[in-house]
Amino acid sequence: MKKIVTMTLAAMAFVMSLSSCSKDDDDDKKVEALATQVAGSYSGNEVVKVMGEESSNEVKTYVFVKASDTSVDLTIPQVGMGMMTIPALPVKGISLTKSGNTITGKLDSYEGVVTNASGEEKNYTISNLALVFSDKTIAVTFSLKYGNMPMTMDTTFTGTK
Amino acid sequence: MALAMPVLNLPGQTAFRDSVELDPIVVTASHTPKALKDAPVVTRLITLHDIKITDATNIQDMLTQEIPGLEFGFAMTQETTLNMSGFGGSSVLFLVDGERMAGETMDNVDYSRMNLDNVGRIEIVKGASSALYGSNAVGGVVNIISRENLEPWTANANSRYNTFGHEWRNGASFSFNTEKWNSQTSFQHTKIDPIDLPKAHTSEEIALELMKKAQGLPYDESVLDDDSNLSRLYGQTTYNMKERLTWRATDQLTLIGRGGYFFRTSERDTYDYHFNAYSAGLKGRYAWDSARHLELSYAYDQYDKANFMPDGTRTHDHDYSNQQHVVHALYSHPFGRNNLLLGGDYLHDYLTTYQFIEGASHSQDNIDGYAQFDWNITDQLNIVGSARYDYFSASSLKALTGRLAVVYKLPIFTLRANYASGFRAPTLKEMYMHFDMGNMGYWIIGNPNLEPEKSHNFNLALERQNRIRHSGILDGAYNFTLVGYCNIFDKRITTIDYDYEGQESALYWNEDGVNVWGIDISMGHYFDWGLTLKLNYSWMHETGNVYFSQFNQPRTHSMTWRIGYGHRFSRHYALDAALSGRHQGEPQSGRTDVDQGYTIWKLMLQHHLWRGINVNTAIDNLFNYKPKSYYYSSPLTTGTSFSIGLSVDLTQ
Repeated sequence: MKKIVTMTLAAMAFVMSLSSCSKDDDDDKKVEALATQVAGSYSGNEVVKVMGEESSNEVKTYVFVKASDTSVDLTIPQVGMGMMTIPALPVKGISLTKSGNTITGKLDSYEGVVTNASGEEKNYTISNLALVFSDKTIAVTFSLKYGNMPMTMDTTFTGTK
Repeated sequence: MALAMPVLNLPGQTAFRDSVELDPIVVTASHTPKALKDAPVVTRLITLHDIKITDATNIQDMLTQEIPGLEFGFAMTQETTLNMSGFGGSSVLFLVDGERMAGETMDNVDYSRMNLDNVGRIEIVKGASSALYGSNAVGGVVNIISRENLEPWTANANSRYNTFGHEWRNGASFSFNTEKWNSQTSFQHTKIDPIDLPKAHTSEEIALELMKKAQGLPYDESVLDDDSNLSRLYGQTTYNMKERLTWRATDQLTLIGRGGYFFRTSERDTYDYHFNAYSAGLKGRYAWDSARHLELSYAYDQYDKANFMPDGTRTHDHDYSNQQHVVHALYSHPFGRNNLLLGGDYLHDYLTTYQFIEGASHSQDNIDGYAQFDWNITDQLNIVGSARYDYFSASSLKALTGRLAVVYKLPIFTLRANYASGFRAPTLKEMYMHFDMGNMGYWIIGNPNLEPEKSHNFNLALERQNRIRHSGILDGAYNFTLVGYCNIFDKRITTIDYDYEGQESALYWNEDGVNVWGIDISMGHYFDWGLTLKLNYSWMHETGNVYFSQFNQPRTHSMTWRIGYGHRFSRHYALDAALSGRHQGEPQSGRTDVDQGYTIWKLMLQHHLWRGINVNTAIDNLFNYKPKSYYYSSPLTTGTSFSIGLSVDLTQ
């Protein structure tokens, strides 16, 4: 009887360990899948608004790189021309979650420093970044505060991989 | 004409109502003191009672609550713009005790300099008044007149907190009055935190709709249409102190000295804007009798702007200083029941700004002379004629303006007919600006060949004021005023597209003007038992070369109203209550990317307690109006806000 109990407990422990391992394995696959699915180069339309007025509407390429299992980094491409150019801006640590058939990403705020074409260092802040990814298509929205500009640039981007 | 009603001193009324003058005196319409009912031009008077009951922190709040057709908005730098019945801020002359102020923010002076703590009344004359006040009095004059306490001494300390931006307003004032001396001292400090204006939709919601649109699925366009111009109101702090000392040297001779200092800092994301203003003045008045007098005065006003980094370092890339020296002379001479007024001014205006070529400064002198004859033909008929000549040295511009006002008192109504011309000389900035906006290669270029803006104003007013007696609950005083006007405004100074050295730029230029037609209706009833009803309505229509700026939006219909009740319940408790509101109709432009019509209500309760202690409470935006998007012309509200304040009069 004692042996049966012992075997039963052992079997339960084995099953539980299997199920546990199985669950962990599934999660690992999903986590990996999120960053891997999102990472890539997207070509599409970027619209920039300054104080409600559209200041640019151009075809751009957004590049996402896997940073961890649950996050990606983004490089926002250069915008403007001549003296008005804002160089490409790295944004790090966009956390990803699965939501139904889509992957959503979020970053409340990111502060960085970049060197512009004149060799000057400029501070910038990305805030309220949100992304939605589904079936090789991505939609991104964020606000950019660059250098001493007194106003933010509100940007949306939709593109395909 | 008397848009502010005389209130009788009746038992049961509160201290504030008791303080309303029985027959208020105004000065703005004729440059000399006149009873409001005798003023030659329709004058809107905001009394001390109005100022206290509106619980306004600054002149913008005050005027917005009282004057229909007057609206303040924001510009890109979050400096204030004004629209008053179709005229922009540069066309409305603001005076403090009859004196101009130096400096500009967006289209006019820095309104936050006008501390309401020491204001006794505000007089508003709509339409042109350049024949008395010269340049800028194209669309109207707002004259803020300081209080003068005549008690042996008074002292007041007050503090108020408002939930909107966690705003604090603290003030103190002190006055003394003897046979020879009168002194008025005031200090005010305000502080408001930055306010993040709520967006209609979160970034996640916007991204989801973007995805639907990209995938060709049904999506909500309104989520993607949030084109708010403003996302954050910058916090700011102000300090404002003033002193005015009067010496009655003899029965005939009075000397008045005054000084003031103002500081404001506006906390931006990357650096702080600092604004400093210094003012001083000396006035001598010799009066042979009540009608014959001579005034000589000198006034100095300086307004500076500078930017500072968070570590306190001055950047020097936004340095600005405007300094004005003004000498006035005014002589009044009676001829029986008539009066002749002769005046002249010299103004030296100096400006240096980061918007000029680096290191440059410019100045100009303005010399003028004017005359006004006040002809009382009969007890019923009064004609006032004025003429003025102005000369500006920098542009060699000359301007001749005039006014003719007729007042005819019928048994039932008083009729007023008025013609006045106005002008605005180009400013030094408009003549010499040479500025690369935002260092982006977009130049704004001044034009020394600008001509002055000009206006012709015609208005006709019908006024009725009277008392109702022996009618029970209806007993009290009432008034009704109907004004129809037409303003013909030409040579408006604005910017046009310009090619500067191959770059897309802007050039100051004289454009064709507009014609503004309008009707103002004002009515009020002050019931003897304490109830007050006031309603002001304004209709306005612009034709011609109408330019609809996104910063200010002329609205066809606008209205303000107030239901007030004041009662002294016991020796130690009295209440003043007011439910007021303002409605701004849809913009005349038909633009949808600006704020549409809205209505905002405010409830104020002022409790007058023991020995001069007053507790003021207010609920602003009572019905929680929230703009869908925050445009430059949106009301600056995020919903209902509350305020509570304490004021202690130590002399009572």
